[in-house]
Amino acid sequence: MKHLFKPFEVVSRNNRLLITLFWIVLVVVFWFISSMGERHLFPSPGQVFTGFTELYNEGLVVHIFSSLWLCLKAILIAVVISLIFTYLSTIPIIKPIANTLSKGRYLPLTGITFYLAILINDARTMQVWVLVVFMSTYLTTSLLSMISSIDQEEFDHARSLQCNRWEVLWEVVIKGRIDHVIEVIRQNLAIVWMMLVTVESILVAAGGLGFLIKNSDKFMNHGRIIALQIVILLVGLSIDFVLDYLRKVFFRYSKI
Amino acid sequence: MNYSKESTLLYVENLSVAYGDKIVIKDINFVEKDVIRENNVTGQIIAVVGRSGRGKSTLFRALTGLVKPTTGKILIADTTTGIENDAKEVHEGDIGFVDQKYTLFRNKTVYQAFMFALRKKDISKEEKHSKIMDYLTEWGLEKAKDQYPNELSGGQRQRTAIIEQILCSGHYMVLDEPFSGLDVGNIQDVKNAFNLITSTHEYNTVIYSTHDIELAVELADSIYVIGYPTIDGKIEEYGTIVKHIDMKEINLAWKDFGMDHIEVVKQIKEVMLNS
Repeated sequence: MKHLFKPFEVVSRNNRLLITLFWIVLVVVFWFISSMGERHLFPSPGQVFTGFTELYNEGLVVHIFSSLWLCLKAILIAVVISLIFTYLSTIPIIKPIANTLSKGRYLPLTGITFYLAILINDARTMQVWVLVVFMSTYLTTSLLSMISSIDQEEFDHARSLQCNRWEVLWEVVIKGRIDHVIEVIRQNLAIVWMMLVTVESILVAAGGLGFLIKNSDKFMNHGRIIALQIVILLVGLSIDFVLDYLRKVFFRYSKI
Repeated sequence: MNYSKESTLLYVENLSVAYGDKIVIKDINFVEKDVIRENNVTGQIIAVVGRSGRGKSTLFRALTGLVKPTTGKILIADTTTGIENDAKEVHEGDIGFVDQKYTLFRNKTVYQAFMFALRKKDISKEEKHSKIMDYLTEWGLEKAKDQYPNELSGGQRQRTAIIEQILCSGHYMVLDEPFSGLDVGNIQDVKNAFNLITSTHEYNTVIYSTHDIELAVELADSIYVIGYPTIDGKIEEYGTIVKHIDMKEINLAWKDFGMDHIEVVKQIKEVMLNS
């Protein structure tokens, strides 16, 4: 038992499971206790369940798919943009553009939305492009770091096999790192998923989880808010799991 | 042991490589010829030794065309023209290069890697397949055919990296510290690979670097020591050839390691310490 409190101690699989169970039970017990009585910060599990049932009856599933669809559209566009700039960043004349795109992650969202609002009228399209601009900067940063972490030996190896520079780019960077791209998307998805809900709640268009939160917030319905938070967390974790699973299934050589 | 030297296989003249103002290697000159022994196919094994930072890797990058020489030229025998003693300047891909990590394409199986190495050869797909299968059998890699690099053992990885370069480049092979960090079994695997390469064709030439002087003396028939030269009593800060030992001339090539070899090891170590 003592060793569980020692830094860097290696524990067995069963012990790890027990530790996880312990924390889950502790959180649930804390939740029950802290939500008892007249005054409490968090809604009780019963309130959350009621909130969840109400949301389900009001079309929660449709809203989840609306958010997922928005997320998918934004991701696809952002990935294409980021990949183009990242791959071309191996060409000296293009590199500054990719670096600048990466640095764009320090720009505030408000400034970006202001200019996008001038260019785009439709709220849904606006949501997509706010996400695209935001995601592209983060994705490009991670993808540039992916390229810079490729060992010189890998480029030399391709060159020694008579690959010209474009073939080196194709074989080592593009084909050779597809699994890394999936991993980069997976890692950035958490930020995107979090941003998506925010964007949906700021720019109300065709529903979505962000829209539901905004509505629940307006009426101070804490049970619904927490129920939604749990749903958002679970959907996010599911996407994360699916992407990780796909990478492992389709890329046997991938050991990231 | 009787032998003769015939056509020139490798000609390096006045080679220097500098990165900006920093001269890494300078005044490198050497010639390696095809060694002929009666009733024996004898390829060439050339060792390059020297202390760290003396420019061995840079010399190898220049020899393989991965870095352009600042001055000088590197010529290799052009065996494709059919003209005797025809030579050409070395370019990327002319000389196979195996680094000490035995780097491979991480997303290609052994078979796919060999097929890729043969992609520019003017032979049919069936011939390529049959050639690959022959190599897989000869080098004991049949079971690893469909495995990715991360699924290979150390020895399988070495053999794959070497065959890949043989299939692509032809007669020349440069290996940067191929014995570094290997256990006894893997070292034997690499030695066997050297024997297999040099016993396949007269022109096959293996050039390798090592910090293990005993291994250099045991395997090579020509040894170059790279170090900082002393000019007018002052040690210069660029690498060059400070000693060449032709093991054939002193009748120690192709022999089991013995007392005479130990003497050569001592000589080399002394030169290295002073350069």
